[in-house]
Amino acid sequence: MRRSLPTALLVIVGLLLLADFVIVNPSLAALAGVLLEYIVLLAAAAAITGGLALALRHIDQLRHADAERSGSVLVLLGMAAMLLAGFYPGSTGAADPLMRWLVAALLVPLVASLFAMLFFFLLSAARRGVRLRSRETTVMLLAASVVLVLLLPLGGSLGELLAAAAGWALAVPIGGVFRGLLIGVAIATAIAAARVLLAVDGAADD
Amino acid sequence: MPDFGDLIGRLVGIIGEVLGASSLRLGIGPTLAIAGILLILLSLVARPISRWVTRDLGHLSAVPRSMALAAESGAIAAFSLGTAGIARSVSASARLRTLAALPILSHVARAAARSGVPMEISANDPIAAILAEATVLEAHRRTETEERAGRSRVVYVGEGRATAAGYALAARTHGGAGFVMGGLAEEGLLLLDGMASNTGSTSFGTADASQASSVLLEGEGALIGPELFQAPSDLTRGGHDRIAAFAGNRLAWITIVVLVLGSALVVFGRIDLATFLVGH
Repeated sequence: MRRSLPTALLVIVGLLLLADFVIVNPSLAALAGVLLEYIVLLAAAAAITGGLALALRHIDQLRHADAERSGSVLVLLGMAAMLLAGFYPGSTGAADPLMRWLVAALLVPLVASLFAMLFFFLLSAARRGVRLRSRETTVMLLAASVVLVLLLPLGGSLGELLAAAAGWALAVPIGGVFRGLLIGVAIATAIAAARVLLAVDGAADD
Repeated sequence: MPDFGDLIGRLVGIIGEVLGASSLRLGIGPTLAIAGILLILLSLVARPISRWVTRDLGHLSAVPRSMALAAESGAIAAFSLGTAGIARSVSASARLRTLAALPILSHVARAAARSGVPMEISANDPIAAILAEATVLEAHRRTETEERAGRSRVVYVGEGRATAAGYALAARTHGGAGFVMGGLAEEGLLLLDGMASNTGSTSFGTADASQASSVLLEGEGALIGPELFQAPSDLTRGGHDRIAAFAGNRLAWITIVVLVLGSALVVFGRIDLATFLVGH
């Protein structure tokens, strides 16, 4: 009973939404709309619960001497700042100028800084890759070097030749590999969706 | 006294009215095509016959050994459910990648439960975190180690892809084994690097084609593309766990046949099968 009820709910909701996708019926559309609203409400409730859990965890960490307190203090201060900006008397919520300033002046530069580290981490990953599986990684890095050379901004007949070769490499071998991966992923996704919809459980004892 | 025949008649009438008020959204052809695909999927999922993949996908057969080593050194097992989540504003296929990671989490959690290794599962989506918690509890229940469940924890790291990457990079806990499974995006390399630098053995997987190189570079075990969906079928001996692989095998053959047939028809100038299938 503990497992069959969620399974039955999953199958019924999935089939109802699928039927609404295929058939135009006012009653079915209304029912599907209600279900979608419930899903949105569920996600909103989960987001609030997640935020509370995050705050509680960091409050709990502040009590332990061996925990990294500075990080917890930063997280809690950040959460408090965002909440204050969104809820102070007269605030317009997410569109409030203070909230927009916090996002534009703090959050966006922080995320951009994180992204800026990608190049250095790529070099570190390449070193790690060579250590783990040298042959495959060497081939991958050589291919990447060839593509980099092809994309060099050169002029003249050599530049045209390289540009044509780069276009061919992107359209034929690289494009072929990507299409193959995408077709495989699409098939596997369809199967996974069918497994979820038909409630085929994947957790057996091993 | 109620008339049973009248009741049946009214019910049939109501069903008739509902059907009469309906129309097909996509027309008869595409609706039949969708119904046909569903029937094929149903038959493929319902009747497994043979096994598709036998190799060690993502180095996951080494999970019990990694857990044994982690237990000896008193380390934890770290698992990240990627950056796509389930309730986040991403595409449906990206959400399915997170769902596909749950059977792998279940496998790892069972191995960790048997070895007495605490797990730390991180997610940037509350719904994914709730599902992860249920998966870990179920793993302890299946292995009859419920008394150890309290040592494992699921961490909601906050909203955003960069948050997940930042959490992994800033983590000071050294794990015996590290896993990242699910959807990844541009900053996936940071998440993988953070996880790899803090743990002993690693196994990473994603179905995002653009992040295949990151997974290959960072992980000792790598699940690329469809392998993320195939791996759960190879993890257990249970017949129904291999169903996705069987069904995928047959669908792959069907796709190859359609591609070859379509190309042949185009080459000989008869019918453009792709135009017919796609509709434009």
